Amino acid sequence: MIKIEAIIQPNRFDAVKQALIDIGVDGMTVSEVRGHGRQKGHKESYRGGEYTVDLLPKVKIETIVEDKIVEAAVDAILKTASTGKMGDGKIFLYKVEEAIRIRSQERGVAAI
Amino acid sequence: MSVIAEKRKRLSLSQKFSRLAGRLRDREWRKYGGALFAGKILGVGLVLLVMMVVSGLFFTHVYAQTGTPEVKAADVVNPVNTAWTLIAAFLVFGMQVGFTMLEAGFCRSRETVNVLVECVVDTCLCGILFYAIGFAFMFSHGNGFIGYHWFFLQNAPATYETTGVAFLAVWIFQFAFADTCSTITSGAMIGRTDFVGDLLYSFCVTGFIYPIVGHWAWGPDGWLANMGSDGHFYPALGMGFHDFAGSTVVHTIGGFIALAGAIVLGPRLGRKFKRDGGQPMLPHDLTIAVSGGLILWFGWYGFNPGSTLSAMDFVGIGRVATNTTLAACAAGLTSILYGYFKMKTWDAGYTTNGFLAGLVAITCPCYWVSPTGAVLLGGIAGVLVIVGVDALEWLRIDDPIGAVPVHGLCGIWGTLSLGLFACGQYGATGPIAPDNSAPLRGLFYGGGMQVLKAQMIGSACITLATFGVATVVMHVVNAMGLLRLPAEDELYGMDLHEHGISAYPEYVISAIGAPGGMTQELPVAHAKASTAVSSLSRAVS
Repeated sequence: MIKIEAIIQPNRFDAVKQALIDIGVDGMTVSEVRGHGRQKGHKESYRGGEYTVDLLPKVKIETIVEDKIVEAAVDAILKTASTGKMGDGKIFLYKVEEAIRIRSQERGVAAI
Repeated sequence: MSVIAEKRKRLSLSQKFSRLAGRLRDREWRKYGGALFAGKILGVGLVLLVMMVVSGLFFTHVYAQTGTPEVKAADVVNPVNTAWTLIAAFLVFGMQVGFTMLEAGFCRSRETVNVLVECVVDTCLCGILFYAIGFAFMFSHGNGFIGYHWFFLQNAPATYETTGVAFLAVWIFQFAFADTCSTITSGAMIGRTDFVGDLLYSFCVTGFIYPIVGHWAWGPDGWLANMGSDGHFYPALGMGFHDFAGSTVVHTIGGFIALAGAIVLGPRLGRKFKRDGGQPMLPHDLTIAVSGGLILWFGWYGFNPGSTLSAMDFVGIGRVATNTTLAACAAGLTSILYGYFKMKTWDAGYTTNGFLAGLVAITCPCYWVSPTGAVLLGGIAGVLVIVGVDALEWLRIDDPIGAVPVHGLCGIWGTLSLGLFACGQYGATGPIAPDNSAPLRGLFYGGGMQVLKAQMIGSACITLATFGVATVVMHVVNAMGLLRLPAEDELYGMDLHEHGISAYPEYVISAIGAPGGMTQELPVAHAKASTAVSSLSRAVS
């Protein structure tokens, strides 16, 4: 089992979610986060003062998938989350040691 | 803290004073002193109670005649004028909601509960003080500087002076004005003021500074009001100081006390100024802030027209209400246009403070200017307030809601603008009809410098006196260690420390992305702010 952690632009979220559901990914955890990579941020102004916002709002999608659909899931995210501009985000893959469903105490692939 | 020497030796007076200063700084001694004082007050109170009870039970009373009632049933004028005054008083009191919303919206969520509680408690304290001594100092007869009748509203007539309005209706109307001034003062001191310190300086402001200084301009024998006439100050001028609804008396006084407080307090922790590469801290709820501003505008329709204390001067109240509206509209537009010209954005903070500045500016001259004059002087106020905001930022004074530029600076502008824009048609309001026999004519209408000179004298005297006394009061409270919250409490969270709850306990409100939103120690490079704060926190610990 692999955990896919994708940090994407907030305005691409609906497209990415739909693409993941279409290829059969059943569950995901979504959070709103702030962060930055090499993108410098941008300037805003309030009451005559200019300030740099360098922690930008992003959306983080975490989902655990079986090994056999990892490539398809990553491709789906790449296709829908990409705008070609700086700030599109990143995808990280982690090996998952164990997954357990709380209701039925199933383990392994049956739990995801 | 050393207590008592081995041998009892006689201390000199100065040694006693320095011992007192040391004890005032110590929390244990302050509690002990407070308990002693409370005990003495209780004792005195018991003695008075016994005196009253004994005389009430065992002796006969002779009641003096309270005087012939001046309100007659067939009289329509007094009831109409009283009803008008009361409606206006309720509208002005409604401005308290506006102020609370404005202040809460412009500050950060971590200091919001403190703003809310301060607004409520200041209002209640103002009511009691104004009943006990404030109205007496301000509106009773005495001498040119202070009134000394009607303490605790005793021995008061049925109606107030020549207005014919019920005495207690005038009381509540003026209480609402005093409440406005007291709320303005807390505006520039948000986010780092100890609650007890706030109570102490509010006590001084509402009990003494506002009523006494206000007496000079609005008291029946006030020296500024009667200036220019025979037997009073500067008779050669031939003109008194005019302030219809209080650009100076309420707004300049409030704004400059706020300035004194902000200077003595220092900025909030983590506040970096534009000069040093920082910017104003972001507001946490612009919806509340702007809506609060509009509620203030609504309340101003009681503030200005109600100051005629007369519905019979119906032409006057219509004119005042229109002038109020036009000044606010003009200022709201010029401020946002000037802001766009500067920053290329249509700034919400600028336009809110803009129309408020227009309202403050028109408050003094509203009775005597034409609608065109109102538009012009309001428009100027809209630009002036932004210049003021930038000036304070440059001076490294942290004023979270712009109280000083809106109320202090534009209050002065409004007062002086009477000398320019008074159109020469209107004189004085009256309970039956206006009295236009001696109209005020300003410089732009061919009236020369007379009105302008009187306004300059009055504004300067009141501004300087207020700022001077307020600075002393703030320093005294600060020396007691009660003005500024200790640094570690401000870092922990002001609302949690002083009030035990945050404004939005159900939500995790993160200021992580907002510049200056999370309070943190500044790096050593910004020595100016941090050494001031660290020396303050050393002094109080």
